[in-house]
Amino acid sequence: MNPCFYWIDRPVFFRPGETIAAALLRAGIADLGAEGSTVRGRVFCGIGACQACVVAVAGEGAVEACLTPARPGMRLAPPPSLGQRHE
Amino acid sequence: MARSPSLHVAVIGAGIVGAAAAHFLAAAGARVTLLDASGPAAGATGASDGAVSVASKKPGPMMDLARHARAFYGSCEADGLLRGLFHRRSTFLVARTPLEAKLVAEHGVDLAAAGERVLDVDRPTLLNRIPGLGDGVCFALEIPDDGHALGYEITQRLLQRSSVTVRRNTHVSEIVMRAGQAVGVAVRGEMLAADAVLVAAGIGSVGLLGLGDILIPRKGQMVVTDRAAAGRPAIDGHLMAASYLAAKRGIVRDNAHIGLVIDPLVTGQFLIGGSREDHRSDQTTDAVTISAILRDALDLYPPLRERRVLRTFAGVRTASRDGLPIIGPHPHFGGVTVATGFEGDGICLGPFMGACAARMILGEAPGVDLSLLAPQRFAAVEALA
Amino acid sequence: MSEQAMTELPVLVVGGGPAGVAAAVTLAEASLRVLLIEQRDRLGGAIHRQPAPGAPQIWRGPARHRRNWTELTSRLERVAARIELRTSSVFLGVDGAGRFLFEDCRVSQVFARRVRAAIVAVGAIERIRPFEGWELPGVMSAGGAQILLKETGRPPEGPIVVAGSGPLLLAVAAQLARAGNPPLAVLERGNPWRRPKALASLMTAGPQLAEAAAYGTVLALKRVPYRIESEVLGVTETGQGLTIRVRLGKVERLLQARHLLVHDGLEPNRIGIPLPAPEADVPVFLAGDGREIHGADAAMLDGQRAAAAVLASLGRTAPVAALETALGKARAFQRDLAEALRSPPTLPSPETMICRCEGRRYADFTALPADASAREIRLMGRFGLGACQARFCGPMLAELRGEPLSSASPPRWPLRPVSLAALANFSMDQTET
Repeated sequence: MNPCFYWIDRPVFFRPGETIAAALLRAGIADLGAEGSTVRGRVFCGIGACQACVVAVAGEGAVEACLTPARPGMRLAPPPSLGQRHE
Repeated sequence: MARSPSLHVAVIGAGIVGAAAAHFLAAAGARVTLLDASGPAAGATGASDGAVSVASKKPGPMMDLARHARAFYGSCEADGLLRGLFHRRSTFLVARTPLEAKLVAEHGVDLAAAGERVLDVDRPTLLNRIPGLGDGVCFALEIPDDGHALGYEITQRLLQRSSVTVRRNTHVSEIVMRAGQAVGVAVRGEMLAADAVLVAAGIGSVGLLGLGDILIPRKGQMVVTDRAAAGRPAIDGHLMAASYLAAKRGIVRDNAHIGLVIDPLVTGQFLIGGSREDHRSDQTTDAVTISAILRDALDLYPPLRERRVLRTFAGVRTASRDGLPIIGPHPHFGGVTVATGFEGDGICLGPFMGACAARMILGEAPGVDLSLLAPQRFAAVEALA
Repeated sequence: MSEQAMTELPVLVVGGGPAGVAAAVTLAEASLRVLLIEQRDRLGGAIHRQPAPGAPQIWRGPARHRRNWTELTSRLERVAARIELRTSSVFLGVDGAGRFLFEDCRVSQVFARRVRAAIVAVGAIERIRPFEGWELPGVMSAGGAQILLKETGRPPEGPIVVAGSGPLLLAVAAQLARAGNPPLAVLERGNPWRRPKALASLMTAGPQLAEAAAYGTVLALKRVPYRIESEVLGVTETGQGLTIRVRLGKVERLLQARHLLVHDGLEPNRIGIPLPAPEADVPVFLAGDGREIHGADAAMLDGQRAAAAVLASLGRTAPVAALETALGKARAFQRDLAEALRSPPTLPSPETMICRCEGRRYADFTALPADASAREIRLMGRFGLGACQARFCGPMLAELRGEPLSSASPPRWPLRPVSLAALANFSMDQTET
């Protein structure tokens, strides 16, 4: 079985070598935004330029989903929510 | 000078001080032309943190002045002029060594003596207020009545709410004098006639007034991060390290010193500064200085490790030789008023100092004693005559 | 630094696409040491993006591209000993002290390297003509969708509309169709029939014409309508999908889709990139689509041209005449293409998002003083200060103002947001004292 990471609490399966963006898109997750935010995240340019697909990796920081290879067990969320739970 | 509806004032420099003076002059009925070599807030005003802080000031006239200036922000926010742009927030003075703790405690005594509220915060309370604060913080004081305002927003508002004529990309090459009295300013080889001139051009004032040995540029490198919170400050106060106080109190004088502040912006981003590099007026940033600032910031507030740096930038503060601002009539050039040398305190002092300069130009008393800040304290200015 | 130590420094090549790899190989074949930096975990760039292991291989455009790339990578293998390849590393720009800075994303560290010359080949970014709703999830750039398609081998699920201008619309639509999800429609803003001169000139370009014909055949077989003088006017979200208001010729329609792929041409990815300075102590050259949009065919040649320029700056002879001729042809082709598809500018509605990063709309831009400087547009308007650093709103504002939004001076670093922890963990070049 393919490994998985978590988008908020939802498991997302990926093929080793695949980017986070590719796995999210295959899982049908297009909206990468936080609830209530006016401009929501989404995969757009695919080359790290537009910064619209930035996701927060728990315990690490924010990365471009389109450039970053997926790793098993990563916990991902929309970026500003990360700062709301420092502890 | 008598107030007159036909009074035309040329204000040189559209930073926060010049914009405030222009605003209040126009509000009093003067005709005002505001000239800037670039545009509004293009210099230090647009490249600074937004601390409207008494907590950081050197004891003495600066601390007293900052209290007036902060109160002025409060009244401008209340009367609508600066509504929504000034926010009250605490400053936390934090120490990470016994020596720093002693310095912070001393500073607290000075602040209390000046009439400022100073609160002791023990570590559990502090961690409750600023979750994640570094283990090294051994002592802290809270100054609860400080505030925050963004220089470019204040400048923009002051100009929007006035009839001031703004001339961008307009370099003033000289102040035109006739019989010891200013009659205008030279702009691109032409003269713009004026009854009075205010020079609030930061380091640009050097060339206009020959203040080369009085004013020095002091570069500061800073960092802006991505958002840690959506649309609100990520932490409940402005973190000011003892290293910053040390610089302000004149204890450290080495060039390229870092006085650390971590400023939570209302956007949820952090502004982290900064270096203090004397005689540097370029606006470049370098990886060695920036990484040193960030290491210090991570030590003070480790949750920053999850942030990304969006921008680095440098601002050039204009400092006077004796560390005090220069505001008042030029001793020898009739009709010329000077307002510069605010170093890193321009955002805090700017609106109030602009209002004071406006009153001086209109021939009124500024309302506070500014004699210690008068330009004639410098012998070199005397020598200009 | 001594003369000898200087000659031991590598030449920097930023970007592992066709231009960068061609430059690196050419330099290494001339016995120079090369430091090759690529942001992804493997070489290839946008054009030669490889599928993830196990992903279905899909039809990926013309065979000549793959042949060229295979040949180049085998040359690369022969000179690999002279090329230090750093993948998953992002070029952050040059700092005030002249240091070339990079972020190694694998070890979370920013490092500086001294180099004797630099070639920057960071490709193109897509131009987007903004309309209401372009910032919504479900709207992707056509190039971005193409990269993901190459990587996953699977098209996005649900109805797709492709819109904007340029040959990429045709290519992406055909690739989606071949992969099993033909778009509802392809909307091309331009009308080449109104530009017969440019069209006639394009008809002389052999390989590109054959490529376009192949894509056109796929679209015809899958019955995908290709409409000219047609564009998206606005998008709103409805339930799980998008309602797309379009203009087809003179008629307005509503289309329902899950995905809208947009693209209005390419431009060099030049934001914050050091200006080319062939005479500087560390000469900087640009290559590939990051210098001038020439397309994939010419990118390799332009990489060789940049390598030849570096060699010339080091006093080595390097013939470039043949390259210049081929590049001239590529330039003429791109010029004709732009002319054939040229369409009048459209003003966005006040509510249209311009700066997505900071949520700034067209109304916020028009509220600025008419004579606002570039600095005021940034500072007061808060345009171009977000995470993308004006890579998208910059070209939009340039088109709306009729003049470019000149870059912040002095050139700033980082060119891209960088991990704060990685920057705090900065390591200097070992030779710097």
